[in-house]
Amino acid sequence: MENSTSITSEIITNDLLPQKFGKLGMIWTGVLIAFCLVGAFAYYLQLKNCLSVTAMRDYVSWGIYISNFVFFVAISLVGSLITAVFRLANVKWSTPLTRIAEIIAVSAILFASLIIIVDMGRPERLFNLFLYGRLKSPIMWDVIVIGTYLFLSLLLLYFPLLPDLKILMGSRKGSTKKYNKLYHFLGSFWKGGRLQNMLNKRAVNVLCVTIIPVAFCIHTVTSWLFATTYRPGWDSTNFGAYFISGAFLVGAGGVLIAMYIFRKAYNLEKYITEKHFDKMGRIVVLLALLYLYFNVNEYLVPAFKMKKSEDAHLTQLFAGDYAPIFWFAILAGMIIPILILIFKKGRKPLPALIAGILVVVGAWFKRYLIVTPTLLHPFLPMTDVPENYKHYFPSWQEWAIAMGSLAGALLIITFFARVFPIIPIQETINEQHETTAK
Amino acid sequence: MKQLQNKLRIVISTIILITGIKAISFAQDSIVAPVLLDIKYFVSDRQAPYLIVKTKIKKERKFLPVKDITVVVFLNEKSNTSTLGKIITNEKGEGKIIIPVSFKSTWDSSSEFTFKATSEPVGKTEALTAEVVIKKAKLVLDTLNEDGVRSIRITSLEKNGSEWKPVKGVEVKIMVKRLLGDLPIGDEESYTTDSSGQIIAQFKRDSLPGDINGNLVLLAKTEDNDLYGNLLIEKNCKWGKPLQDNNDAFNSRTLWGAHFKTPFWLLGIAYSIIIGVWGIIIFLVVQIFKIKKLGA
Repeated sequence: MENSTSITSEIITNDLLPQKFGKLGMIWTGVLIAFCLVGAFAYYLQLKNCLSVTAMRDYVSWGIYISNFVFFVAISLVGSLITAVFRLANVKWSTPLTRIAEIIAVSAILFASLIIIVDMGRPERLFNLFLYGRLKSPIMWDVIVIGTYLFLSLLLLYFPLLPDLKILMGSRKGSTKKYNKLYHFLGSFWKGGRLQNMLNKRAVNVLCVTIIPVAFCIHTVTSWLFATTYRPGWDSTNFGAYFISGAFLVGAGGVLIAMYIFRKAYNLEKYITEKHFDKMGRIVVLLALLYLYFNVNEYLVPAFKMKKSEDAHLTQLFAGDYAPIFWFAILAGMIIPILILIFKKGRKPLPALIAGILVVVGAWFKRYLIVTPTLLHPFLPMTDVPENYKHYFPSWQEWAIAMGSLAGALLIITFFARVFPIIPIQETINEQHETTAK
Repeated sequence: MKQLQNKLRIVISTIILITGIKAISFAQDSIVAPVLLDIKYFVSDRQAPYLIVKTKIKKERKFLPVKDITVVVFLNEKSNTSTLGKIITNEKGEGKIIIPVSFKSTWDSSSEFTFKATSEPVGKTEALTAEVVIKKAKLVLDTLNEDGVRSIRITSLEKNGSEWKPVKGVEVKIMVKRLLGDLPIGDEESYTTDSSGQIIAQFKRDSLPGDINGNLVLLAKTEDNDLYGNLLIEKNCKWGKPLQDNNDAFNSRTLWGAHFKTPFWLLGIAYSIIIGVWGIIIFLVVQIFKIKKLGA
């Protein structure tokens, strides 16, 4: 028995150790780097010529940078859902997904912080926020809560990684050898003793309990950036819950995509099984239904009253210039994924991947719709302003920076998967032991 | 039967008439209307006289601005020495030319001017010309307060040789400047000067808020007057209700208060959360060191 267990452990370790990039991996990384470089060049132009290179003007002062920010914050919530909520609920099947969720959370929240700086016309004045920050402003709350969440997410990524670092250091596989210094720096002290394990377990439990309210705070506060500003479309008491439900949905959609890609790229079919797609699919259906419910509340109630100030905004969304994006976001982001994933066959890996992509793309456009059309419909009419103040379509620099930031987040996930095991090795071995013991 | 025929005739005639009218109106719309050039003269007591040049086109029974038309404006005659300026019309189809200081001697020596605007043909737009003849004039605004009744006296004066002479029959609007537009001082939309070139209008906006000292900006203006163009005069007077100094609101601990004036309850909640969560983070970092110590 012991012999068979040790063989199993060896196979698991071999299967889950980081692998070198193949041809596709190299192309993928190259494309991401290219996007990042174009984004960096566009940002250089923005620094040189200020925000005038963007299409943002007096009315639309929050464009796709802020849409991207909200999107990043939203997707980052998945870390707390998959890792913290499932861990506390003792959901065992989610173990192979925890690290995927956590690295998505860390990269997303990191780029959420960066994109906010990009949105600033004078980034060198960032320190003023800390010198003269006003605790009364939701923007200040957001800065505090994002910093806190980033730190907690890093810790939640780090603690469960400690046992795996020992395995990585002991590995003689060529693909991990060159990172030995890094592994040593991060976890040379991990011996896997009883006390160390106990402290680690306790720390992870404390983190799981702490990160859930902080995760709720981060997206609630982000929603309050809008809801505390008196504008058509944002004047809602429902925004916190609406944003959080949407965030869990896009995060779960993101995990579906990542599951499929890592499974294919690293041949992880034994670990990320069809059962995982089935269960994640069910979760996405539940979250999509919940988010759809909040959307009905957000749009139907104001549309029923059709107050003068809301009229132009809602008409633009339902039947005006923004109608194609609006209906795409509703259909692709919620209804079609529900229709795919509600059936057992739809929860197979490929359809689940398609549903995940629809959820994530729909969610990005949904954030754009939350931010921009509202700004184009202020309560006071726009008078005596240049024509280009009345419309907004992002400039190529904005697109390049936004796409560069998305590529940057994906690049972090890609490099992480190259250096560290994307599925927790020690936890998988432990679970295997438990199953075998039963 | 005859009645039916008559009814049929009426219906057919109506249809033909409507179709005809529509066809004519469509025909009118389908003809490419020429671009129109217009020039207006403005003078106020607070800035140098200037001209606004406007280019527009009639489309679907509406005037739409035409941008990017280069217009040159001359004083009295078309020559290099009398060129007042050159502009390119903006998105509103407008361009502004302030009469240059170099024309001061010409300006002071005469009381009647002709402004000529021309543009070269560009693409489908043909060469355009416009002209406006202006007599030099001004408005004088005085405030009167007799037996508690506040009035405004406007005198319109026209320059005749070296003298300013009052003129009658000039239509003047008398207003108070507000943030989003001008407010008439009384019930009348506009007033006309009498034989002595004067208007006396009662000020009926007693409770109007002014600035912190109660100052209001009164103004009188003519709009597109055939002889004098657009004249404007402004004057400050303390007829408004002084604005209450609301600095107290910013100096007290409110959500809208100044820096370091955060309400105590918010400080308490925010710092409790920050200290609580960061306390846990510090605890977790300590755990890392403990684990490290155990492995050393």
